Amino acid sequence: MTRRQQRRVGRWLRALVAAAALVVVLFPVYAILVGSFESTETLFSGTFYWLPHAATLENYVTVIRAQSGNVVTSLFVALGTALLALVVAVPAAYALSKYRLRVTIVIVSSLLIAQIVPSIVLATSLFIIFHWIHLVNTFVGLVLADGTYAIPFAILVLRAFFFSLPNELMDAARVDGASEWTTFRRIVIPLARSAVITVAVFAFLNGWGDFIFALTILNGAGIVPITLGIYTYLGNYSTDWGAVMAASAFALVPAGVMLVVAQRYIASGLTAGSVKG
Amino acid sequence: MNGKNQAGAAAPTPASPRQPVRPRTSDAGPPPRVSAWRRRRLAGWLFLAPAIAYLLFAFLLPIIYNLMLSFERTSPATIAKFAAPFAGLANYRYIFHDPTTQMAIIHTFEFTFGSLFFQFIIGFALALLFGTEFPGSTLGRSLVIVPWLLPLFVTGVMFKFLFQAEGGAVNQILMAIGLAHGPIDWLNSPHLALWTVLIANIWLGVPFFTVLLYSAIQDVPTEVTEAARIDGAGPWQRLVLIIVPIILPVIEIVLLLGFVFTVKVFDLVIGLTGGGPANSSQLITTWSYNLSFQQFNFGQGAALNNVLLVLALICSPIYLWLSRDSLRGSSGAGR
Repeated sequence: MTRRQQRRVGRWLRALVAAAALVVVLFPVYAILVGSFESTETLFSGTFYWLPHAATLENYVTVIRAQSGNVVTSLFVALGTALLALVVAVPAAYALSKYRLRVTIVIVSSLLIAQIVPSIVLATSLFIIFHWIHLVNTFVGLVLADGTYAIPFAILVLRAFFFSLPNELMDAARVDGASEWTTFRRIVIPLARSAVITVAVFAFLNGWGDFIFALTILNGAGIVPITLGIYTYLGNYSTDWGAVMAASAFALVPAGVMLVVAQRYIASGLTAGSVKG
Repeated sequence: MNGKNQAGAAAPTPASPRQPVRPRTSDAGPPPRVSAWRRRRLAGWLFLAPAIAYLLFAFLLPIIYNLMLSFERTSPATIAKFAAPFAGLANYRYIFHDPTTQMAIIHTFEFTFGSLFFQFIIGFALALLFGTEFPGSTLGRSLVIVPWLLPLFVTGVMFKFLFQAEGGAVNQILMAIGLAHGPIDWLNSPHLALWTVLIANIWLGVPFFTVLLYSAIQDVPTEVTEAARIDGAGPWQRLVLIIVPIILPVIEIVLLLGFVFTVKVFDLVIGLTGGGPANSSQLITTWSYNLSFQQFNFGQGAALNNVLLVLALICSPIYLWLSRDSLRGSSGAGR
């Protein structure tokens, strides 16, 4: 074989290995989709079919009937988390990058450490604290708790971004007589648009995917996000796999949508959050 | 007071912070310098205030309260009260003598280091693979992050479906290729449940390693690897002697973050095994949940939480040190 042929074979060999890896990566998601279209009899037949066997929509009918309210709840929780993250993080990141405050190093260190704190530690205490201030089983309580995933990450990512904005921009606005707030709102936020979207996307996914705070801070009646809805399906002795898979398919929708629509923001957020943070 | 504000004493009353100070056109009136500087500092504090309030409320308060709880004798009746009777070290004594807690701590170590080992090896291999050029590499790179984006609890449920003894895809594949002769009861066997959780966690954690190591490898200057190639270094030598030393800072931080993320894993286990059977896949997190929210022994749960917190925070000095550039950026930027 010539050098060139060897190289060509190598390229296709690598493509083959990558394809095999992707099969492993994507198969579980595919299996959820297949399972969600199977009838209860098929799911209990003891055989997994690689393609839907006698496909049916009955699981989706069941889930839409039982869980559509929960999907809406999750949507509000996710939006609430994203909103809270932006309101808290955007001004804070700006202050931590463009104002020389003495607390900066303390706050940034605290944020790095906050990312490390396990959620169960917070959940145990917040459950009791929320009891005193009547936030148990409330939307506000859940969003405040879900912010613990999103806010430290958001501030660190946005701060890294704000460093890249030249100070001259803000100075020019000030010379023109703009107040600090106007400068922030009219100059800084529009320029930070892409970083703000990145942070909002991640906060949304955090709020959407949250389970531990929903499990601890909510009591399962009233406000039920989709993750908790799926959990109640599992609680029974015999799991209704069709319904579980259809509900799981719903729970995967935002990740899929973001992957297609916000690919660019996701890619930048994934690398920025962990290394530059 | 900051040293730069020496003129502060001599300056007349600064303008009210609400009224924007217009730039002065004549030299009538006091110099705006000092009040403008103060106004800016105030603005900075106001921008920061919500975040400080949030950090105090959602992180510092729960951590301190958790510490208090761990020294209290709690019961379902004390939840509604601010404080329960002092218990001394009773909660800690309990958890360190309780066999299930000990098992959960050991499982957490096995689970964490097992996950990190395989995630790192597989993630690094995929990062190297995607760093080369081949048909479909761009599409592959964007699809490989899928597991990272899924809700962790749903991932747990998904693997529960795949690992069922009867009708689970995993057993069916293993039997088809002859690796298993009959269905393996992954989820109901105390010896296998933790392995199942481990496999699921490796699956979901690999993309984190792949993405970060991939971007680090891309940042290695090609001249360096080319020069090594010309000097006769083979692919393995280039990897071990050139690439790894250059990306070592990223490797350190990725392993560190991988550790703290894995030590925290909760949703996945609840979705997959619920900690069972017979507590054989309980981790510190899930057992702490069980102590607090199912047995209503919040004091014991809090004590175990502190063990977990210490385990996670052991890493924080290293993390801060590895992030020192980002911390230093704070003094270099601004004006």
